[in-house]
Amino acid sequence: MPKVLKLDKAAEDGLRDVLTTLLETGKVAGVFTLARIGQEGEVAFSLISDPELLKDAVPLFPLMPVNAGKVLSQITLVEPDAEPVAVVLRPCALRALTELMKRKQGSLDNFVFISLTCPGVYPLELAAQGAIGERIPQYWDAIKKGDIPAEVRPACASCEHFVPYNADMTVAIVGNTSMDTECEIALNTKKAEEVAEGIEGQFVEGETETEAIEALLGKRQGRKEELLDEIGGEGFEFDTVFAKCIGCRACSKVCPICYCELCFFDSPANEHDASHYEAELAKMGWAQAVPDPIFYHLVRLFHVSVSCVGCGLCADVCPSGIPLSAIASKVSGAVQKAFDYVPGKDIDEGLPITTFVPEEFAGIK
Amino acid sequence: MASTRKGALFSAEQGRQAGIRDFIGRALGEGGFDAVLMPARLSTGDSFTYLLINDESVLERAFALPPIMPVQGAKAVSSIRGLARDGAAIAAFLRPCEARAAVELSKLGQVDLQNLTLVTLDCPGVLPLAEYLESPTKGDEIFQDGARNWNSEPMRRVCQTCDRFSATGAEDLHIGTLGQKDEDFLLIPQSPKGEGLLDALGISTEADISGWEKEVYDLAQERKATKSQAQDELEARVQGTDNLLRLLSNCINCRNCMRVCPICYCRQCHFDSEKTRFGFEDYLARAQAQGGLRLPADTVLFHIGRMLHMSLSCVSCGACQDACPMDIPVAELFGLVGDANQGAFNYVPGRSRDEPIPLATFEQEEFEEVEQSHAGTSAT
Repeated sequence: MPKVLKLDKAAEDGLRDVLTTLLETGKVAGVFTLARIGQEGEVAFSLISDPELLKDAVPLFPLMPVNAGKVLSQITLVEPDAEPVAVVLRPCALRALTELMKRKQGSLDNFVFISLTCPGVYPLELAAQGAIGERIPQYWDAIKKGDIPAEVRPACASCEHFVPYNADMTVAIVGNTSMDTECEIALNTKKAEEVAEGIEGQFVEGETETEAIEALLGKRQGRKEELLDEIGGEGFEFDTVFAKCIGCRACSKVCPICYCELCFFDSPANEHDASHYEAELAKMGWAQAVPDPIFYHLVRLFHVSVSCVGCGLCADVCPSGIPLSAIASKVSGAVQKAFDYVPGKDIDEGLPITTFVPEEFAGIK
Repeated sequence: MASTRKGALFSAEQGRQAGIRDFIGRALGEGGFDAVLMPARLSTGDSFTYLLINDESVLERAFALPPIMPVQGAKAVSSIRGLARDGAAIAAFLRPCEARAAVELSKLGQVDLQNLTLVTLDCPGVLPLAEYLESPTKGDEIFQDGARNWNSEPMRRVCQTCDRFSATGAEDLHIGTLGQKDEDFLLIPQSPKGEGLLDALGISTEADISGWEKEVYDLAQERKATKSQAQDELEARVQGTDNLLRLLSNCINCRNCMRVCPICYCRQCHFDSEKTRFGFEDYLARAQAQGGLRLPADTVLFHIGRMLHMSLSCVSCGACQDACPMDIPVAELFGLVGDANQGAFNYVPGRSRDEPIPLATFEQEEFEEVEQSHAGTSAT
């Protein structure tokens, strides 16, 4: 049973206080969190070292401008962090970071991971319209009632992994009906207990809120079935669903698992010489002049499906509105099930494609 | 405005698109070119792509002026460069901004115009991509209506202020439609190659085009005024670092503006290379120097760097803005900066194949006023 730190403050205010204390007492050299950066309420991730600036931090703001796992991987790739830094990130971002570590893409040695039971985030489109702020009250109302907030991204509404794995601290959100007045942070690890020592608040023996979590999981599973039915119903064909792709590669650029510096599809290997076009023209009377998007998407699914954490950014950035996240969920769900693998759950569990099991998939053989 | 230039007047009973297809079919059949590169409707019917076609029966999918720009045509021209280089005679049907970008890419060594016949069309603009894809049927209607009346109101903002919607000066053949009857179009040769093509097909150019020229001139004047006003407004909003930061504050660093830009042809962008990746201590030091550091870092630096690289050749095609998931008016910003930089060098990207890109030329006496203002400031 984990220790729980209780503060008599609203959840986000309490968390901000904890972050401020950690920074002021020198227990961490910086805090990585969402913060307001613009005058019109724009929010972005920031690495903050001045406690004064933490007043702009909005660690629970329901937006995912980028996958934090991807950012943390990139900034620790050349040289790891030497000083401890507290990072606030959503469960899927932490899972993505864990998968990236299995691929040797950075380091997480000195991070103190603070995550939350995650209610989901709104689409980027609403942030672009500056329309998230006005939805905040209804967002928290829905969560207190144990509902899925209206208009959150389909990837979030159907996410089953909203309780973080591997977080040092977990801010209780789901099932916390008193979050307007109370902030509860579970201290899951020794590291968490050490850094939390001396913070003003009550330390109590915690009970994991299982009932509300179970109830929400049920609702999310229902949504997931609906979502998969929508894209997986009759008439679903890869060549029609991907046809209107404009080849911008935004899905790959924002994907935490797509970490290659140069994608195969941007390499000379994917450029055609005259003989390719001549053969196509002779065979069909026409040839696709711009690189084929279907092949790109199939191979991308092939590459990421084992580690896809369903963060939903691919669908969020697609200028053509292709339901990429739902498609990835369908494909990766099947692949991960086949290997009994949950990406980002256990850092010591090897990636299925890099482990060899002599007796496996006998049926296929 | 008196012109001695002539064109061929085509009247297509089945409508203009069908007429253009007939012309292409005839050219393919009679060896005017081996294949045509042009937009075509997807078999799913809900969007468009670029196809290379050599079979007349496939031409019914071809669509010379689609209602959207899902791919910038210059990128399509660039991707088939292997074929063009190998000697096949290809005619590319492009919007003026796409042809201009293709000409810029030829100066950058990315496109070979030698075996290409560039054909442009009067362009009424395109609809915003996302809007069209939400309801393609409705989009088709809105576009047809706007195109017929040259009403740019439903088109993208960069299209509404575009004053280079007609012949670029660097194409081989231009198809003029402005001020013509619905089913009519003019074939206007713009180069010896274009003249040769019409000659070979036995099309004589006897029609007077001065009426069309006047229509183009008048609309261009009108658009110039609209653009100047829009740019003044935007300039007031973005001047100074703080304002630029504000305009770009929602940028999520997805690089989509760069990916769809016809001019950004680098296989790997400097800003994605290891040259822009630092150790964690560097990021922390930067955060400590100012209290905090936004991550991903250097989003605005990326945009400034990109503007430095592409602004002289920016044709204001608007593909960047169509692809931005955060609806930042990037095309309008890049157009503003592009026009200013191009104006300083009296350069118009894509108007001539022979005019070198200013950065690739050296003038002994140039920008003295800039030099003067920095005189004596060097370390020596």
